[in-house]
Amino acid sequence: MVVKANSQTFTILAQDPAVRNAHGELLFARVSVPLETLGLGPTGYRLKVVDFDASRNQLYHAHAYQQDAASGCMIDPFDPPGEALLGNPAFHCQHVYAVVMRTLARFEMALGRRVGWGFDGHQLHVVPHAFVEANAFYSRADRALMFGYFKGLDGQHVFTCLSHDIVAHEATHAILDGLRGGFMNASGPDQAAFHEGFADVVALLSVFSLREIIEFALTNGGRIELTVQGDRRLLNGDQLSQQNLAESLLFGIGEEFGQQLEGLRANALRRSVMLPPSADYLRDEQFAEAHNRGEIFAAAMLRSMLALWVARLGELGNFGDNLYNLREVVEEGAKAADQLLTIAIRALDYCPPLDLEFGDYLAALLTVDAQVAPDDSRYDYRLIIRTTFEAFGIVPPAARTDADGCWHGFADNGQVQYRNSHFDSMLRDDEEVFRFLWENRAVLGIDERAYTEVVSVRPSIRLGTDGLLLRESVCEYIMKANIFGAELKSVCNISPRPAWIKTTDALTVYGAGTLIFDQYGRIKYHVQRPLNDGQWQLRRLSYLAGLDSSELDLRNPLAQLHRQRAWQVGPLREEQA
Amino acid sequence: MSPTSLTLYAYQVGFGDCFLLRFNYPGEVRRHVLIDFGSMGMPKGVAQGQRLLAIAEDIKAKCAGKLDAVVATHRHADHISGFATNRAGTASGDVIRTLAPELVLQPWTEQLELAEDASAPEQPGLRGARSMAQTLKSMNALASAVVTLLDQGRHGLSEDLASRLGFIGEDNISNASAVKNLASMGKRNAFAFFGSADALAELLPGVRTHILGPPTVEQSASIRKQRSRDPAEFWHLHRQLLDAQVNSPNDDPGPFADYPATRGSKLPMSTRWIARRVREARGEQLLQIVTALDKQMNNTSLILLFEVAGKKLLFPGDAQIENWSYALSHPEIRELLADVDLYKVGHHGSLNATPKSLWGGFRKRGKAGTAQRLTSVLSTMPGKHGNPGAGTEVPRRPLLEALGKESELHSTDGLEPGVLYEELEFSF
Ligand SMILES: [Zn+2]
Repeated sequence: MVVKANSQTFTILAQDPAVRNAHGELLFARVSVPLETLGLGPTGYRLKVVDFDASRNQLYHAHAYQQDAASGCMIDPFDPPGEALLGNPAFHCQHVYAVVMRTLARFEMALGRRVGWGFDGHQLHVVPHAFVEANAFYSRADRALMFGYFKGLDGQHVFTCLSHDIVAHEATHAILDGLRGGFMNASGPDQAAFHEGFADVVALLSVFSLREIIEFALTNGGRIELTVQGDRRLLNGDQLSQQNLAESLLFGIGEEFGQQLEGLRANALRRSVMLPPSADYLRDEQFAEAHNRGEIFAAAMLRSMLALWVARLGELGNFGDNLYNLREVVEEGAKAADQLLTIAIRALDYCPPLDLEFGDYLAALLTVDAQVAPDDSRYDYRLIIRTTFEAFGIVPPAARTDADGCWHGFADNGQVQYRNSHFDSMLRDDEEVFRFLWENRAVLGIDERAYTEVVSVRPSIRLGTDGLLLRESVCEYIMKANIFGAELKSVCNISPRPAWIKTTDALTVYGAGTLIFDQYGRIKYHVQRPLNDGQWQLRRLSYLAGLDSSELDLRNPLAQLHRQRAWQVGPLREEQA
Repeated sequence: MSPTSLTLYAYQVGFGDCFLLRFNYPGEVRRHVLIDFGSMGMPKGVAQGQRLLAIAEDIKAKCAGKLDAVVATHRHADHISGFATNRAGTASGDVIRTLAPELVLQPWTEQLELAEDASAPEQPGLRGARSMAQTLKSMNALASAVVTLLDQGRHGLSEDLASRLGFIGEDNISNASAVKNLASMGKRNAFAFFGSADALAELLPGVRTHILGPPTVEQSASIRKQRSRDPAEFWHLHRQLLDAQVNSPNDDPGPFADYPATRGSKLPMSTRWIARRVREARGEQLLQIVTALDKQMNNTSLILLFEVAGKKLLFPGDAQIENWSYALSHPEIRELLADVDLYKVGHHGSLNATPKSLWGGFRKRGKAGTAQRLTSVLSTMPGKHGNPGAGTEVPRRPLLEALGKESELHSTDGLEPGVLYEELEFSF
């Protein structure tokens, strides 16, 4: 009997067309994605690639994938790869398909469950040559990722869909939208910035988990002479400081790339890690806009990754003369990137459903890591992360977290009525969870006057580093209230009412919470955005009132944000009067 | 000698600006300044060409054949289209030309030789001016490419999107005839920036004209809150991208020359839904870009503050917050603006052109009946700009409401279509 694989491999560009080795060759990689029988496009169970170009008003013909009878896998028509693939739109289609599927699979692996999109429907459209534009974005309204292309200043075509960073970044926006739809709402300055920064982090960490890329960066594409001992290639330890790693990993790859993609944000994506730590950025008006502010978050995460890598390298033996085995160095880097990516994704489950602030995310990250790996002593992962974030002014919210920066556990289980709840249904049934919420509304702080909705109920199974399974259920609810200015005190605890809101003004306010149930169906954490948190409510309203209404009404806000980020021609925000 | 009063004629130009200022001096002496003359759409039943000509003739009569100065705040069509001439010499711009203005005052960004002659010397205090002039040229070209693109067909765009794109595109197209006329009709041309000398001093005795904007490249950079790349690059690249789409669809092989493709009219069923979405998204991209362009153009507006015998009259063109920021960053300027008596509402009443810190700083705002109450003058026509249906969940009080409640508001929108202007009188 032939055992069929559950994955198949496809050739992709490991980074982008500007990255070439010492012989001038493109850097390709083979990545595995879930096994499926592809339709034209390719179209699979999660993606529908459509190569329609609106600027030329034509549809490029798709490759008809064939199945290998023995393995059941689709046959990769572009293996072995070569230079000619850059001019083959069908390869571009395969590249975006494989990179988005790989990114999605990475999320599903970390979360231990299927992840849906942020719109009704199962297949995300991916349009690799959508129009002539130096831009690419995720559009919820269009259920699509759209990638532009253009003729660069040197007359060569530049395809945003061929950049691994950009494709993974856009895919992350779409996936994040599926996990936390509330994060796309206009809210405080951190939330939109988080969408952007998180997409950068996932893009970069998933590139760094490709060993080909790390090796390429450390050897500068084979241009650096290595010491050879037997079959080992050895690298000078001086190269392995955090700063040198940052430079080779980000600028070793980024330099050519930035020039090639003049007018794209790829450089910006990499620039963030060079942001020297400072606690002042968050207060600096220069970083008030989402397209700048996200870089603070990305910098804290990427610096954490480098610090973790250096910590791991500290445990490696050397081969005399401060020489390290290249293969081991690469391996430790890929592991550091991979582990950080895993907890970065898992942390989303422990975030509030809306109005995220960077400090909340940090608390979620620390909490989730403490859950699956209670013993932090080997590499001090959590300490390293916390210290790095603190250097950027990001700290867990003191009132809601413990000494380790983790969320306080839920303390009121004694007052919660569990008797009517069926645990099995609680793991997957919105109605059952809502009934539970409603019956316990007093202790959970759910305002009876607001309209409350359960927006998701998701089981989660994780394997801790100790090999133990952690089973949980994650539920999000949102409260919405339409009030008048006069009710700001009684509903939101805002007092005094700011002068710019009249008593008769109609406005909408929100409260929300994420409930984490343990495997026995008892509440472990309640991550809350109470409707009556006056300070927070006022912060949100003031921020929104200061936004240009034309920006709030954009159908594709990410398109605007990405353009502003590439060019930094964003508007200045007026100070609040 | 000082003027004893001002007569302000706010002409009905639909969506546009046209103001004639008459400073009255003792002994029947009068001085006339025309601020802007353009339209992007007249009220129903009014023919644009005829109306502009009628206004030009009226201006001629009012100033008895001689204008002292013409001010063109910025190059948007709705502010300068009336200055355009025709071959027969019978257009509104030809009439204005015969009024032989002593001075034509424009923002520093309008020095044509800068854009035409790449080797023009940099002027002291205006570093980056040449690049700016060339950027404006690219922006005009981009706008005209957008309009050409729409002329070639709607490209699957919704009617609403196409008309918004078309409107902003048209307003930003270079009006070569008007620009040329402005450059040559006056005895003298002056180009001003924040803090530059009062070019009107000799022409308007007893009147002090403060130039509060636009800031120079260096002035803006000094208060910039964000790192920014050279906008010239941005507009240059986008102009190129659009030109390529407009001009050579047939002989440009595109990115994949010989690769088989299906025409957009024969798409297979499975791709039609998303194809429609992609077309619309492309249009939205263009709209975002031309909106940014429109805004940048507004921000080249002259901001003039006339001071006469303690009274202050503010004419900010269409300046938006980015232009205003430099002036408002100076406490002494904020103080200077605090007791403004007459405010020409910026950018036809759009929210972004009346910064909160400006409006909030006007001390003479007040309920009807307040002594020495602020007067505001608005030239606009509803339904032309912006998206009135756009609402959010946070109070966003329409500026108009505040203007109406807290100042003596005069809007050309309230005039009967047949009425040529509203006349306002201020005594000093
Ligand atoms: Zn993004």
